[in-house]
Amino acid sequence: MKALSNVNFDVLPGEVHALCGENGAGKSTLMHLLAGVYQPDSGSIAIDGAGVVKIADENHAQQLGIAIVYQERSLFGLLNLAENLFVNRQPVSSGGWIDRKALFARAKTLLAEVNLNFEPDTPTGHLSPAQQQMLEIAKALSIDSRIFILDEPTAALTLAETDTLFTLIRKLQQRGVGIVYISHRLDEIFQIANRVSVLKDGVMQGTWNTAEVTLEQLVASMVGRERLYEHFERTLPGSVNPTLEVRGMCDARLKDVSFKAYAGEILGLAGLAGAGRSELALAIFGARPVTAGEVLVDGRPIRITSPVEAMSAGIGYLPEDRKEQGLFPEMNIAENIAAACLDRFGGWLVKDNSVSSAAAKSMQRLCIAATGPEKRVSTLSGGNQQKVLLSRWLLRDPSILIVDEPTRGIDVGAKAEIYRTLRTLANEGKTVIVISSDLPEILAIADRILVMREGAVAAEMLAGQATEERIVRYAATSQEFAN
Amino acid sequence: MTWRRLLRREVFLCVLIVGLIAFNSVLFPSVFPKLGNFSAILRGLAFDGIMACGMMLLLVGGTFDLSVGSIFSMTGVIAGWLMKEAGVAVPLAVLGGVASGLLAGLLNGLIVAHVKVNALIATLGTMGIYRGVAVLVGGPGIAFLPASFSKPGQTVILGLQAPVWLLIAIAALANFLLAKTRFFRQYYYIGNNATAARLSGINVARLQVVAFAIMGLLAGVAGITFASRVGTSVSVSGDGAELRVITAAILGGASLNGGRGTIWGALIGVVFVAMINNALIIGSVSVYWQSIITGTVLVLAVAMDRFTRSV
Repeated sequence: MKALSNVNFDVLPGEVHALCGENGAGKSTLMHLLAGVYQPDSGSIAIDGAGVVKIADENHAQQLGIAIVYQERSLFGLLNLAENLFVNRQPVSSGGWIDRKALFARAKTLLAEVNLNFEPDTPTGHLSPAQQQMLEIAKALSIDSRIFILDEPTAALTLAETDTLFTLIRKLQQRGVGIVYISHRLDEIFQIANRVSVLKDGVMQGTWNTAEVTLEQLVASMVGRERLYEHFERTLPGSVNPTLEVRGMCDARLKDVSFKAYAGEILGLAGLAGAGRSELALAIFGARPVTAGEVLVDGRPIRITSPVEAMSAGIGYLPEDRKEQGLFPEMNIAENIAAACLDRFGGWLVKDNSVSSAAAKSMQRLCIAATGPEKRVSTLSGGNQQKVLLSRWLLRDPSILIVDEPTRGIDVGAKAEIYRTLRTLANEGKTVIVISSDLPEILAIADRILVMREGAVAAEMLAGQATEERIVRYAATSQEFAN
Repeated sequence: MTWRRLLRREVFLCVLIVGLIAFNSVLFPSVFPKLGNFSAILRGLAFDGIMACGMMLLLVGGTFDLSVGSIFSMTGVIAGWLMKEAGVAVPLAVLGGVASGLLAGLLNGLIVAHVKVNALIATLGTMGIYRGVAVLVGGPGIAFLPASFSKPGQTVILGLQAPVWLLIAIAALANFLLAKTRFFRQYYYIGNNATAARLSGINVARLQVVAFAIMGLLAGVAGITFASRVGTSVSVSGDGAELRVITAAILGGASLNGGRGTIWGALIGVVFVAMINNALIIGSVSVYWQSIITGTVLVLAVAMDRFTRSV
């Protein structure tokens, strides 16, 4: 199968050239060609100063001045920041020993450049995923590169960090670095890119100056659809009694969190990374111990100390990190979908047939693109994997479903499918809670929005009154200032 | 895709075993291809085979137990001590020995799943503890066990020794349970991704305790059957069993990362290891070589595993 056919792509010095397309469009393949991971069957790569080159491997790419920041972090959690920045390239003193002074000094400069206020000897595992992403970028900076390739750099970043990243990108531009910016977040592309190219099924759909193209045009060329966010009709909570009520929840990260959620609504949880939204969800789901707090389902206090208990109280949780917390990579689609309701399939014995047919139904419902339920889940694209995980909860059918970053790093087609499904759930009378760092997303799908900051609920607003600016004000600044 | 199926571990091993049989038959035509020899191989592997069933369960769930050999020795000694020194009736003494195996496994499980000590360290520690208990209770061993105890272990039914029949029964049951029942299917989920399993409502900690307890129980059954077979509780009888059993399970398709493996794969692994050891014995190679060869096979199996998976 051809992943790319006859693709032309260029980056000028000091330019940000965005590359977008649905998952499986060939973006990663193109990137891997530039990194020397794959070799092209035909065609050539030319670099200013070096002419036409054959990139042998990743080291060679580095020597040619190509730096790549991968979507999947490749850091050593137990080593400190400086050691991660200079893997393999630590400055050495005359005796061949690692020169710690020089190492730390250079690390400190790099960390400052990406606004990471940590000492170079901090263990990398102490950093949040977003901060680790910034570290990854600092690592690429340390290689004096002329071409920067960023693959979904903001997928794990909050707004403030995205701003830091953009400042950094502009600095690089001024130095004459050419930047390839791969992203699903189209609004970012308009903020940062000079030109944008769209790939679809391995074919280049076109290249535009961002000033001369509209969001609708880009989306249309990616999927043949006009709108990214279908604006659903909002239904405000009709019922007076909340289906879920949280009272005074506290732990190391949560400060006295109380809120109510109602049947038939999509409640959005906005906030910066580290605001405690995932921690709150895990605490409600019984996967994280709390020091104080009460959870009421349909008005009755429920004791939840494990996911098993939360699930029998009718609560479901689709976790933030697909790979680490959600997928069973070596198992097939059917087994992955059935994971949360193994008790539903037969009594004592596994009924593989009924698991398969239930999975096939789910695949149809969410348009999961795969040859069949027996397909191994690790072979699917990110979007399809996410749909498999959502199917797991649809099959379980909880009355309260918390979804954590449900569309992170997936293509617009899969996104639309997930939004549609969440809305259908709410219309069926379920309570849906969406945690998202993607503000346009939360504005588009939530009926009501809670903004969290530093482990506490900072604000509550109806979707009609919410704007990105208002949310950010509450999420990023102290209460007095926000008022 | 058929070549991939041929590369399936179980099939691949079967081919290897057939090759090994042919090779040995040519090399030792007067000793190897004899009924007596095959019967001896089966009798010898029965104990490892029983333990390999438990080890496979643990490995599927993403963990393992180094203390199996020590539990094997300890349970035999405890049963022997109960019937010989404490004057307990034989059936009760057997029950007591098996129970001590179950308890030892339970303790392993609680340390790993609830105290959250890494399985390598936890069972390395209990390996020493249980071995010490065995020597403490039985000294070098307890000989001349009552005939009513040693008789069943030496019975031959339809040409096969009783321990072999016990293995067949346990393995058939274990294979059915692990492959077909909902309860045991959960171990594949845990081994694949323990965090995801927990967040899908699978009680990971409890299942791990259960798996270790089953492992302890099976090591106990094997240890007492061995004591019955030889009529003596030997305090070091299980030494080195963990190497053979883990090697067999890994050879048979388990992965240290968890999530894969079958009971019959583990059994074929046991047969393979036993065949190699048998060839060494009839080839008059020093017994000290056995451990070297088994260790080499383990390393090769894991290396091969990495290779075939990266294809």
